[in-house]
Amino acid sequence: MTLFRLECKTHIKTLLIWIIVVGLLTLGLVSLFPAMKDMGLQQMDLKSMPKEMLKAFNLSDMGLLATIKGYFGYEYQYVMIATGIFAAMLGTNALSREESEGTISYLYAQPISRISIIGQKMLANSILYTLYWIVSMAVAFLVCLIFKESGASVSNLFKAFSQLTFAGWVMGLTFLAVGFLLSSLLSSNKSATSLSLGLVFLTFILGVVGKLKEDFQALVYFSPVDAALPSAVFKNGIEWNYIVTDLIVICISCLLALWIYRRKDLKV
Amino acid sequence: MSVIELSHISKRFGKFVAVNDLSFSVEQGEFFGFIGPNGAGKSTTMNMMLNFIKCSGGEISLLGKKVPQYDLEVKKRIGYVPSDVRFYPQLRVQDLIRYTLDFHHMEGDKAEIDRYCDLFQIDRKKKFGDLSLGNKKKVALVCGLIHHPELIIMDEPTNGLDPLMHARLFRVLKEKQEQGVTIFLSSHNLKEVEDYCSKVAFIRSGQLIGVEDLSQINKKVKVITLKGETLPLEQMQTIGAKCIKKEDHEARFLYEGGLPQLFSTLSNLSADLDDVSVANRDLEEQFMSMYERQEGERL
Repeated sequence: MTLFRLECKTHIKTLLIWIIVVGLLTLGLVSLFPAMKDMGLQQMDLKSMPKEMLKAFNLSDMGLLATIKGYFGYEYQYVMIATGIFAAMLGTNALSREESEGTISYLYAQPISRISIIGQKMLANSILYTLYWIVSMAVAFLVCLIFKESGASVSNLFKAFSQLTFAGWVMGLTFLAVGFLLSSLLSSNKSATSLSLGLVFLTFILGVVGKLKEDFQALVYFSPVDAALPSAVFKNGIEWNYIVTDLIVICISCLLALWIYRRKDLKV
Repeated sequence: MSVIELSHISKRFGKFVAVNDLSFSVEQGEFFGFIGPNGAGKSTTMNMMLNFIKCSGGEISLLGKKVPQYDLEVKKRIGYVPSDVRFYPQLRVQDLIRYTLDFHHMEGDKAEIDRYCDLFQIDRKKKFGDLSLGNKKKVALVCGLIHHPELIIMDEPTNGLDPLMHARLFRVLKEKQEQGVTIFLSSHNLKEVEDYCSKVAFIRSGQLIGVEDLSQINKKVKVITLKGETLPLEQMQTIGAKCIKKEDHEARFLYEGGLPQLFSTLSNLSADLDDVSVANRDLEEQFMSMYERQEGERL
């Protein structure tokens, strides 16, 4: 597990930066809740907008914005997108960075197989992402406890956050796995950031289109963010058909990444 | 026993043929040189040996196991020093050595680590990214040697090393060779290949030009240089000397015959020569004549 340790050591600073930034962002967003509630955010008149449009942007029930769950559910969807980008970047950089920076000439000269390289990197990055997500969710839960409206049930909030933690974890792992697949194809990480952004935004837009038009509803399955939208998870609980789709994508991506990486010529 | 065996290997990148039908073998305990001009296919060959890239054709065996099916036990017995040393820049030298030993599931002998670090004057506390080219190379050498490999593959190991470190490296390598370690050295520096290697393979445009036993090269062939107003080209030809260079008042010959016959021929000349020199044929001479011969055949 030497590579696992090396990978964790390499990413620990990035992980801490993301945790701090997302933690502060969460604190900033949620701390506005009491003021927004007093301003009557829930009474904002959006009736002139089409219902599909409101649904696509998760604003179909404005009344919920007066509750911490509703408010957090709406605001945090943007953090979910950022989380998706973080996970995708971990994945797309994982293998390609070694070739891009030339460190593969050290790494692969050691007694380590390609399967082991990909396996240890997958494990390390999955754990790093899990750590990031658990800490982010814990911070979000604590912040929500501080700013929740009087009368909001703590156990109810805890249950909702537990479900969101699981759904968001699966979402991140999906982006991580697809990122890994892309990484196995790349021999440079120069395009890793743009690919990660593209991957997350493209799939998010597919989800929006899927919600806008009934005919394209199947597109929602291609949007891992939609499987973990806080507003949807808080309202309907975990939607297992989305989770199963994500798990299938994770399995296929990992197997394909293994298959490709075992056969590719490494750029030394 | 052959430690390295290349059998008709080739590598194509699209339409470009980088290595074409290359075959040679390296025996245990040999100090084997691998030389060729830039772009000849040396690094590509080594990358195939280490399974960084796959062969388009042919077979490679290292330590008796075929590449790429060889297992990690074989990899543990190989040390590699790359030409372009790009290790993890954020790691300190001591961590890189530690990670290398960990990859080999070795504790490492502290005294030996100290010995190598002192020998190559390495500051273990420094981050790898902060080191100069020469110091990076020294770290790569330590990482390539620290796990006691049976086969050491080195790509331009002396690039960036000062003469002192150069001498120390070859002293270590000679010690290793005496212990039975096989050394495969790719280099542009013909002098170091000539001084240390027992055998050398010449490669050009991805093709093997020849494999020569260096001790035989030096013993067999002499380079005769004659200077004078009138040069005895015909007489030299009659004793089997081959003219390889001719200018107005100077000519060079390759001569494989006995020296008494040469001196007897020269002493019987009607015209006096200004200067005669007899030297062992060095590797550079061999290298140039092989490449010129191949170039001539091409044209």
